[in-house]
Amino acid sequence: MSPRPEYVSDSDSGLDVFSECHSFEEPSSTNIEILSDDSEFDFSSGDYSEEEDARIENATSELESGSLLKGSKSGKLEPLGPPKLNYGCLTTDQIYQIMLSRLKALEPVLNRTPEDIIVLLQKFGWNEERLLECWTDDDNGVLISCGLKPKDDIKCERGIKEVRDFVCPICCESGQTEAFSLECGHEYCLDCHRHYIQDKLGEGKIITCMSCPLALRNHDIDVLTGTNSSQKLMLSSMKSFIQKHSSHYKWCPFVDCNYVIQIGNISCLSEFPRFHASPYVICDNMHKFCFRCSLESHDPGDCKVADQWVKTAQVESANLNWVLKNTKECPKCGVNIEKNGGCNHMTCKSCLFEFCWICERQWADHGGSYFECTRFKKEDKNDPQESKSTLRKYTFYYRLFSEHENSAKLDWKLGQTVEQKVRALQETTGLSWIETQFLPESIRVLIEGRTTLKWSFPVAFYSDASHNLTKIFVDNQLLLVTAVEDLSQLLQIKEPRKIVEKKLEFFNKSQFVKSRERALIECGRDLLCKGICCPQK
Amino acid sequence: MASLPKRIIKRLVSDPVPGITAEPHEDNLRYFQVTIEGPQQSPYENGVFHLELFLPDDYPMEAPKVRFLTKIYHPNIDRLGRICLDVLKTNWSPALQIRTVLLSIQALLASPNPNDPLANDVAEDWIQNEDGAIATAREWTKRYAKPN
Repeated sequence: MSPRPEYVSDSDSGLDVFSECHSFEEPSSTNIEILSDDSEFDFSSGDYSEEEDARIENATSELESGSLLKGSKSGKLEPLGPPKLNYGCLTTDQIYQIMLSRLKALEPVLNRTPEDIIVLLQKFGWNEERLLECWTDDDNGVLISCGLKPKDDIKCERGIKEVRDFVCPICCESGQTEAFSLECGHEYCLDCHRHYIQDKLGEGKIITCMSCPLALRNHDIDVLTGTNSSQKLMLSSMKSFIQKHSSHYKWCPFVDCNYVIQIGNISCLSEFPRFHASPYVICDNMHKFCFRCSLESHDPGDCKVADQWVKTAQVESANLNWVLKNTKECPKCGVNIEKNGGCNHMTCKSCLFEFCWICERQWADHGGSYFECTRFKKEDKNDPQESKSTLRKYTFYYRLFSEHENSAKLDWKLGQTVEQKVRALQETTGLSWIETQFLPESIRVLIEGRTTLKWSFPVAFYSDASHNLTKIFVDNQLLLVTAVEDLSQLLQIKEPRKIVEKKLEFFNKSQFVKSRERALIECGRDLLCKGICCPQK
Repeated sequence: MASLPKRIIKRLVSDPVPGITAEPHEDNLRYFQVTIEGPQQSPYENGVFHLELFLPDDYPMEAPKVRFLTKIYHPNIDRLGRICLDVLKTNWSPALQIRTVLLSIQALLASPNPNDPLANDVAEDWIQNEDGAIATAREWTKRYAKPN
């Protein structure tokens, strides 16, 4: 651990130096203050100190109290479960501030300007440890290799200068009055420089002079392009920063989500596999994902099950995938039916036949709350070949998995429109905002329930079907299916007045889904812990 | 950005390099026919190699595309005449010119680098049996790279 540099107590003064070379907005949430003035940069990128843990814990608990759904679920499930995960959700601006604060910590050691340190860190892929190693070996060599110091004498000043009748050696355009060069004196016109910089910005590497390894600093880039283009460079730098420190930071894997999760107590991550649990985190967009494998929440399966399932799915299901994605025929009249809502209770528009989307059998045959369709019957048909039946078994489970995946996607879409629904509710019934929150809450529960259901099929697939616990697990699955379908059906109601009438039902059904979900997860963990579910088979 | 011919004419005509010629095609000014003489004291001595050079739309931001038309036995040039040379790929800079690229290619002929090969079989031969490989290169030069 490095000695604590003195200047850090005054955290604002350092940032001023940057105000001219970057234009990220000031951090807005309280969270960042806790994290960004973190002066001890930990070269081994190993454990954070306890103090830091405490800070992040603060941040997390703040978040927890502020929103509906924060904290680690896995911790609540069983008293003997994995430790509680402390984490915070950061925006890219906040990450940038953290990068700056780590950079500031290097300032007294390297004794260079912050702009230079940005270049150094870019060259070293934000690996501070290696930078310092090389720096202590040969600081001059590092400076030269990073293009921060000309090999020979300084020939001229860097910047834009006026030159009479300048002929640019690149475009050969004559009669120009301005040229740009670094200390090396390689002068080219501004137009050529601009083209060159635009070309290089996307690569995320240090941009050098076109004729020698001397580096352009962020300030030069902004001056030349006339905008703050260096930001774009910093964004790709941020990516390498997060990649380098991936044990602490992860991007939210959801599409178009730019949040980054920072884990405080990373040492406890290693505790999770022992309990067959996964370190779930939730970003500020309410995206729940596994910090280890960057997949969505895959309870009741652990990371191993999820990993194996995803791999198998990639290999075996390329064909299956698109076959299943397409429409289904009505089992009675054969008309093509597209499913455009989340519920599995289908009614054919042409012959009015009611059936279950999954098993394509008559809805009435399901017998009220009991659905036969998640139970795979081994002795279904005469099938002597083992491998064939494995494939059939897989196909069956994969089908269920993707059905629920599709349904979850549709539910997600439904969730997008819920704001409108809530507003309509408020307008037509005069309810206050807080009284209408049961609606988004039930959709959230529905989506979570479906995700859990979805990931329970891989667990069932890898489990020993003859074991009693597996049977219990399948029964639990069925119960959750019923609960989820009920809730889904309830959420199809469009008329505001009816929704309000059924408010209590919404509450009850959501609670039921939640409790069924918890039971299924616990049961699944039991299967994993006792070795009945074993993905290697 | 200046029109293409301006740059080309300035560059090529003003400062010819001994042993290297490059002529733009009549129909397409971006397409060049190039000849390079084999460097002295190399297995390619006395050979004249034909190459084609094409300037992509983004030139000079993007490197020119160069390919050997004459068959050549060289660890960094493959059967199709493609060249493994840093300045044609990652180390390209707009400040480089056609003539510097062609000079680099000539230098590559003088000092083959079998440790960073493009033609694996040639490179293997070069490492295991350098004398034999050089003899083959000489023979190929004699056979394929005849001066007109």
